[in-house]
Amino acid sequence: MQSLFARSRRTGTLRGFAVARHSARAERSEGLKQFPMSRAAEANESSDVALEIRFGPLDLAQVRIRTLDPGAILDELTGRVATAPRFFDRTAVGLDLTQLEQEPRPEEVRGVADAIRRAGMLPVGLVNGPPYIEALARALDLPVLAQFRAPSKPPPVLQAVAASPTPTEPESPALLHTQPVRSGQRLYARDKDLIVTAAVGAGAEVMADGCVHVYGALRGRAMAGAHGDTAARVFCREFRAELVSIAGVFRVFETLPKELAGQPVQAWLEENDLRLASIA
Amino acid sequence: MTEIIVVTSGKGGVGKTTTSASVACGLARRGKRVAVIDFDIGLRNLDLIMGCERRVVYDFVNVIHGECTLKQALIRDKRIETLYVLAASQTRDKEALNTEGVKKVLEELAADGFDYILCDSPAGIEKGAHLAMYFADQAIVVVNPEVSSVRDSDRILGLLASKTKRAENGHGGVREHLLLTRYSPRRVATGEMMSVEDVKEILGLDVVGVIPESTDVLSASNAGTPVILNEESLVSQAYEDAVGRLLGEAIPLRYIEEPRKSFLARLFGT
Repeated sequence: MQSLFARSRRTGTLRGFAVARHSARAERSEGLKQFPMSRAAEANESSDVALEIRFGPLDLAQVRIRTLDPGAILDELTGRVATAPRFFDRTAVGLDLTQLEQEPRPEEVRGVADAIRRAGMLPVGLVNGPPYIEALARALDLPVLAQFRAPSKPPPVLQAVAASPTPTEPESPALLHTQPVRSGQRLYARDKDLIVTAAVGAGAEVMADGCVHVYGALRGRAMAGAHGDTAARVFCREFRAELVSIAGVFRVFETLPKELAGQPVQAWLEENDLRLASIA
Repeated sequence: MTEIIVVTSGKGGVGKTTTSASVACGLARRGKRVAVIDFDIGLRNLDLIMGCERRVVYDFVNVIHGECTLKQALIRDKRIETLYVLAASQTRDKEALNTEGVKKVLEELAADGFDYILCDSPAGIEKGAHLAMYFADQAIVVVNPEVSSVRDSDRILGLLASKTKRAENGHGGVREHLLLTRYSPRRVATGEMMSVEDVKEILGLDVVGVIPESTDVLSASNAGTPVILNEESLVSQAYEDAVGRLLGEAIPLRYIEEPRKSFLARLFGT
């Protein structure tokens, strides 16, 4: 599970590790296949199977907690949620407790989780970290979630691939979409860049784990680095976006800044701050 | 070959039924065999606009449920003899339609030698609208020059590109046409209304027709005469042009600019 999630981020920042990427992909697709398929086979024999278990990555926002004061957390969150209520409404979030100065007590974490729930989001687990997280998760009866970031040491799968050089199809580095993305449509480029050569309508969403390029008007929402790649960027030829987000840091445009409206614009992340500038 | 054309918009009240009736008449007057079907089950309107509401005995739902034959339910227009109407049921709801039933009716009409089948879609994006567009070869997306209508049309265009049989089979998708209705050049000039160019740019589609705002539409509806048959009306001429363009004729857009007042008229302020 750890390598499965780690992979998503690695592709954005460490493109050079193509071998590792492919191997991780192969590993995942097998992992995905085996269990559900045997289940599916059973399901075919008797349709009254009570349940089916599937493994697969899910998008999950993370809330990095820097204080244990529920009041401060609630204040901060209510402010943010107010800017984009639908974006946050009942959004599943993982609690990242790794940035706290000291190990929190279970009841403190419970207070934090309650504050987040009151702000409208749903905490579903603890983001993996130091060993005390595991103990906390047990005490609170919550799951520990694999973290969406690259492990500090290279993944072991690297060697496994070197040993068995199976030729893999060269994978396209970007998802190309030539039709307009209409209101209500969502487009997601998993593990790669997204290129749209037409307009993205108001109320449409374009997402990529890598960069998002729109060679038309961007009137909807664009999210780059959907799995946490802070180096991802958003580019568009005509900026009229409702929302731009990179690695979860987002900005809602209730009114378009005059100097950017209708301009070719790029957005990037600098010290966790979303920056936008005209590239005309 | 039978061409199935859906007339749709997402938003209600933009002129789908008016357009269905007039385009159907326009095509039929050019000698095509045309059937126009009202998919708005429960809110039967097309028969009123076509002026055949008192002749509806059996309807679309009856045919789908096998309670009558298609021939019994098709109402032949009294003015144009190649034009037929299949009315919606007023007493049922949209759940009375199903994919298989709609498919059967469309196939039967095609086998009967109809050149065009027009599907007048209900507003919204639910089952009725979905079934109206599902089998379409072409779509006329009716849009008013205002933001909410344009937004809803964008949504509908997205559905046309993904939730239709042609899109699913990868047969090149549905051919999409934009038809602007209730267009007022005067209000465009004053900036109150979006222009043809604005709408074209946002939706990224070519315009098959621009129908000027006119009181003729309401009086035609009340009289049960499709407005295209009122030859004196600008609306009729605009629809006639749109029908020509649908058939591939190159006709420049008319009535999209405010008529210039003559020198004398300006002088006397009338």
